[in-house]
Amino acid sequence: MPAPPTPPPLDRPALLSALRARIARLERAGAAGALASRGEDAVPLAPAIDQALPWGGLPRAALHEILATEPGAAAGFAALILARAGGTVLWIAPDPDAWPPGLARFGLSPAQLVLVRAARQQDALWAMEETLRCPAVGAALLVAGELDLTAARRLQLAAESGGVLGLLLRPDADGAAPTAALTRWRIGSDLSDSDSPHAIGDPAWSLDLLRCRGGRPATWRATWHGDRLLTEGGTGTADAARRRA
Amino acid sequence: MRRRCCRPPRMGRVPGGQPPDPPAGRQKPPGPSIPWEPSEEEARPACHAAGAREPLPLLAPLAVGSGEAAASPAGVQGAAPPGRPPHVRRRILALLLPRLPVERLRRPGPVAVWAQRGARRVVTSASAEAEAAGLRVGQALADAQAILPGVILVAEDPASDAAALERLALWCLRFTPQVGMEGGDGLLLDITGVEHLFGGEAALRTEVLARLARFGLTARGAVAGAAGTALALVRAGRGGCVATGQEAAAVAPLSLAALRLDRGLVSALQGLGLRDLGSVAAQPRAGLVRRFGAGLARALDEAMGHATRPISPIRPPPEMAVARDFADPVVTREGIEAALGLLLEDLCRALREAGRGARRMLLRAHRVDGAVQEVAIGTGLPTRDPKHLARLFRGRLEQLEPDCGYDRIALEAPATDPLTGLQDGLGTAGRTARREELAQLLDRLSQRLPVWRLAPQASHWPERGVRRIGPFDEAEGFEGWAAQPRPARLLRRPPFIGAIALLPDAPPSLLRIGRDSHRVVRAEGPERFEPEWWRDRPDRRLRDYYRVELASGARLWVCRIGLAQPGEDIRWALHGHFA
Repeated sequence: MPAPPTPPPLDRPALLSALRARIARLERAGAAGALASRGEDAVPLAPAIDQALPWGGLPRAALHEILATEPGAAAGFAALILARAGGTVLWIAPDPDAWPPGLARFGLSPAQLVLVRAARQQDALWAMEETLRCPAVGAALLVAGELDLTAARRLQLAAESGGVLGLLLRPDADGAAPTAALTRWRIGSDLSDSDSPHAIGDPAWSLDLLRCRGGRPATWRATWHGDRLLTEGGTGTADAARRRA
Repeated sequence: MRRRCCRPPRMGRVPGGQPPDPPAGRQKPPGPSIPWEPSEEEARPACHAAGAREPLPLLAPLAVGSGEAAASPAGVQGAAPPGRPPHVRRRILALLLPRLPVERLRRPGPVAVWAQRGARRVVTSASAEAEAAGLRVGQALADAQAILPGVILVAEDPASDAAALERLALWCLRFTPQVGMEGGDGLLLDITGVEHLFGGEAALRTEVLARLARFGLTARGAVAGAAGTALALVRAGRGGCVATGQEAAAVAPLSLAALRLDRGLVSALQGLGLRDLGSVAAQPRAGLVRRFGAGLARALDEAMGHATRPISPIRPPPEMAVARDFADPVVTREGIEAALGLLLEDLCRALREAGRGARRMLLRAHRVDGAVQEVAIGTGLPTRDPKHLARLFRGRLEQLEPDCGYDRIALEAPATDPLTGLQDGLGTAGRTARREELAQLLDRLSQRLPVWRLAPQASHWPERGVRRIGPFDEAEGFEGWAAQPRPARLLRRPPFIGAIALLPDAPPSLLRIGRDSHRVVRAEGPERFEPEWWRDRPDRRLRDYYRVELASGARLWVCRIGLAQPGEDIRWALHGHFA
């Protein structure tokens, strides 16, 4: 990974952000071996979002949390990340209702998707941890309810040792407890751009980056068009661009 | 935990492996029942053809008929690989447990088991003590009570008897991998090629009978070259060993009861003055068959050794097996895991030498009291990695109940596949290693949880559009999927919802889901799905699907069930969520 651009002097927030990013990279040193075999160590989403993230994308060997305000939009966003992570991906849920005909639109092929049903949370956590420790897996998604800090920390450590991108899909509940995840997103659906009442148009989502270690919270409105994620607006985008200029 | 320490397994390791397709390949020596220290050569699972090491009683003069019978390759059901050389002589040990229904109860004093036969209550089995007092099988229950008022009477329980016999058959797997049940009271053990481990046929027979006696079971045993002969001998109350070729002579003096024929048939034969098998066999065959049917001739041939009687093995003979005996029973979890580790090493070495990998594995633990417990695992790809297999077994070992300990633990590979060209410890970043790691992960997960992939299936209904396939299968034929507008999540139990439309067949303009009402901003559709007349019930109704966008931005897949026309009862359901 290239060295972060040196910020101009006296730009304290940018300096702090760069230092945080460096610390984050040092912390994840354990995953270096696992990541060495892959081409890149971050999954790209969209240019604007990648710029706002200190890793230039959604980093592998880490746990990311997705709070779903609407089940469909969150599933689409998660499928997008799983597909871009590549390789075999696992979907672990008490009742996996992922439907490949719909997920294929986001590039997730049924050939790479393995579904695991874990009715008890204990089993689900075990399965997720085993998966995250396996370097042969590209990414794994766990549909979970409430999760305590210890369990999340375990998953984060497992992801670091295996170099696997872990996703934690949870319903958006008030006061969701903090977890050890590297980033936390809230995904909701948004009205599409279609100008006809008889055409649905492209999927549109509101992406809230609520928490990001070494980065700043931001909000985007994104639409999925063809095979690309198009973003617009976003309070965080302008800030990030200014900092990096 | 009953014992604080457990002695490490130190007793005989048993040569058990063999290549899965040697021509004569069934007779794998199972473990010895007495402790022994094998030499290094013996300890290694040996690959051999049974015929090569089996001491054949070739000195016995061969009768023409028996020679033909023994040469018949259809000898033992499921045990004869097509390429077996015809000169292998089988040796069968038949066991008869005449008092199993009584003795399995393990009650002291005179005991008898009775059953209702028509209007009568008769004794079906009596213990030795009761028989000494004068009770007989077939006696009326009232007579038995009159003879011996103190007798303990137990109603018969055929299911438990069968279960007890099956337990004994499993127990017999410690002597040979091929054991079959015969009738309700007999066992057939194919001991071809294993008797030398016990010091010969006679010693093996004595050993089996002594062990059964230790369980408190009365048993008779006979060894012969044909299953029918051995069975006829024990049923006639005889025992001992009959050399191959002597079968006809050995059964000739036996009474007709040894064949377990129909009672009417026996009395008809006796009416003709034919009282033993030899005299029946001496009659002209054509007349015998015409008058008494082919069943008699068949039974006679089997008893004489002219025809082979198939053994249906209770477990398919494994392709490879190793076992260890313990002088001190293994009780603790640590002890069992240590024994499993040693067995896995042995088996995996044998697999490596044969160039194969196991697809299934079976751990069979023989308890001191005669009970046998089994634990099985399966793998998606052939493997011979002891560490991986030990991890798969670890979760399953909890099923074992080592009440008073195990004195023998055997590990089998019932199914193996070719596995060659793997280099251990090289190229961890290679594709093969990746595939291996993924397979191991899926193995571990599927031991505990349901794991599957989804593949397309031709169907009109969305819920039947995909089917589950195994995690190691390939999903194909989904090329057109990305173009179709389909939801990312399909609800397994679609809830019924309320909908308001401007016209009966118009898209909905308001949805009521639960208690909330949602205004529909955009709607696409309808897309009609017709019932599959070749599969569905005739009253299954068609569905019109709409893709709707609510004011909140949520996109749903809702359907109207039934045709929108007067008199039709129309319902709406929510079937999926779009991304």
